[in-house]
Amino acid sequence: MKQSKWLYLFFVPGLIFYSIFFILPTISAVFYSFTDWDGLTTNFNFVGFENYTNLVTNDSIFIKAMTNNLKFMLFVVVFQTLFSLVFAVLLVKNTKTNIFLRALYFFPTILSSVSVAFIWSYMYDPNLGIINNLFTSVGLEILANNWLGDQNIAIYSIAFVQVWFHTGQMLIIFVAGLQAIPEDLYEVAKIEGASRWQTFSKVTWPLIAPAATIVVAYTTIQSFKAFDLIYAMTRGGPNYATEILATHIYTTAFRSFKFGYASAESVIFMLVIALITFLQFRVLRANRVEN
Amino acid sequence: MKKFKLLSIILALMTSLALAGCSSEGSSGEKDGKTTISFIHWRGEDVEVFNELIAKFEEENPDIKVDMTAYPSEQYQSTAQTLLRDGTTGDVFVSMPGSQFEIIQKAGFFEDLSGEEFVSNFNESLLEVGQSEGKQYALPYQLVFNQPIYNAGIFEELGLEPPTDWEGFLALCETLKENGYTPIAFPGADIGPGQFMNAMMMNNATDEEVFTKLVNGEVKLTDEWWVKTLSQFKELNDKEYFQANALGTKHDGAIALVGQEKAAMLATGSYAMANIKSHKEDVKLNLLAPITVSESEATYEGIHTTTFMMAVNSKSEKQEQAKAFIEFLSKPENASVYANKTGQHLTVNDVNYESEVLKDTVHWMDKNTRFQPRYLIPNADVEKAVVGSIQDVLSGTDPAEAAKKAQQIVDQNLN
Repeated sequence: MKQSKWLYLFFVPGLIFYSIFFILPTISAVFYSFTDWDGLTTNFNFVGFENYTNLVTNDSIFIKAMTNNLKFMLFVVVFQTLFSLVFAVLLVKNTKTNIFLRALYFFPTILSSVSVAFIWSYMYDPNLGIINNLFTSVGLEILANNWLGDQNIAIYSIAFVQVWFHTGQMLIIFVAGLQAIPEDLYEVAKIEGASRWQTFSKVTWPLIAPAATIVVAYTTIQSFKAFDLIYAMTRGGPNYATEILATHIYTTAFRSFKFGYASAESVIFMLVIALITFLQFRVLRANRVEN
Repeated sequence: MKKFKLLSIILALMTSLALAGCSSEGSSGEKDGKTTISFIHWRGEDVEVFNELIAKFEEENPDIKVDMTAYPSEQYQSTAQTLLRDGTTGDVFVSMPGSQFEIIQKAGFFEDLSGEEFVSNFNESLLEVGQSEGKQYALPYQLVFNQPIYNAGIFEELGLEPPTDWEGFLALCETLKENGYTPIAFPGADIGPGQFMNAMMMNNATDEEVFTKLVNGEVKLTDEWWVKTLSQFKELNDKEYFQANALGTKHDGAIALVGQEKAAMLATGSYAMANIKSHKEDVKLNLLAPITVSESEATYEGIHTTTFMMAVNSKSEKQEQAKAFIEFLSKPENASVYANKTGQHLTVNDVNYESEVLKDTVHWMDKNTRFQPRYLIPNADVEKAVVGSIQDVLSGTDPAEAAKKAQQIVDQNLN
């Protein structure tokens, strides 16, 4: 019993780091969100809720960034979940080819996001990039596009890269979920004469629903917090078409040096993510009860 | 039990060591009886030249060691200010003119260099951008011409001369287009709008205070000077004088178009000349600026920026050593090494320009050029809105509408 008390000491380093790098900055951010601090000097004034009021009533870019965040998140969640599920169903059996293909799909995940951003920026170049050249060379000029320069599609072009980047990660979660389903159930379905679709919808899907919820929850949070790909590919442009909350906060804090204002944006950002996470976990719990 | 005690002590020690590491003095301490000064900047491509100059400086000043860190440009813009706060980093640092200079000056991180002898090594007329309230806080080292580069070979072949008015510029572009060249390679995805806007607006709004007045609410982007500038951007785009889908092209891509002689002009600045030459070594390059008004109305011939502004951290405890390093870099013989090896014009007097690119364009130092207007926008949000309105027009928005949208953002950020 005494020995087990000593084991608590193992929590101490983690607790110290967690306090220094998460709890304290969070408290500081909330504190500074009520000030006009520039982030450099030691002088600041308390401005009450002025930063929050300005954000909601007088900052069109903040609203635009929030909208872009939602567009980006929806695209990523839908396509990343769909692609990873389809690939997982196709590659669930442990054949040599499937293991190789799983590794191949997982490969982008190990790359650094800045490298991915540079590679895709070059591929998306409307004149020199491989994507438009490929479409043109097979007679599909109609599909060639100004991928990062067109305000209407730029956010989706980056969202597609995000999907490509992380699908492999989600694929592994689905494969693990699928491999946990007892083979007997499929044999029963076969004996009962179920079609492939019926087998998927009545056997596979209900049993991988918890895995799907984890994938959706993780993808939602990950895409909402996206920053690196967007910043490296477009800096939020053209004309704010890819500006999201994280890039807006970064510009406000580190280019305009309005740390107080940026802190208020961060607090709202944190609350939105907390709300999304809360809702996701409610759904996750509901699924667990069902199953 | 003893094992657990020992483990706990080790863990506690590791934790305290890690934390102590966070607050160590950094790289600017005193080592081997030498004073180490920290020199921070954003020119990664100049590290080799600086290493050579630093070695010479350390030989001449055996008591001083220079510890140089070159940050990526984007990272430097956002973190330099915070690095300077405690005085242990950036005894010598560089800053960009405009909003970064304003922010650092306001925070009080610039040491006043007004009385220093080495200030006289610089061309007095190019130092203004590093001054505030009559004091010389920073010394710009580089002189850049932020206006289009053109392929002089193509111009000669087609019998073209740099035009002196807007009609002439449009005619020039038309001739280039008719002869199969893209008249202007425009990197709209990154630096193009922020660079080309300077030359495009220099004669449309000749008041150098125009952006200060904008953030003070005295002028608006919906006024004639900016709507006209946007309309002229639209005209160039509609007539297909930029490459197709210009807003999707990055600087490297635009440079490649000029380097491969598919495009005749590059809408950025003199700093890209060396890159173009790396694509095609024997290409003959020169500079021009579009004159957007009639010849008689033209006030300015081009754009210049004095940048890479060297300064001493006011929080530094090694200011004398830091000043000695700046003095060393401002000596004509050392500045000449830097200029010729980096392909940059400098603000230092009596520099001996030997490289071909620098010789070809040195005559621009005597022309009537204007300091880059974009750098005079004192607010980063306003700068983004101004540049965004150009991208908006190139995306198809009507110039008056784009100006109105940008003005709304300016209004949200009025001083």
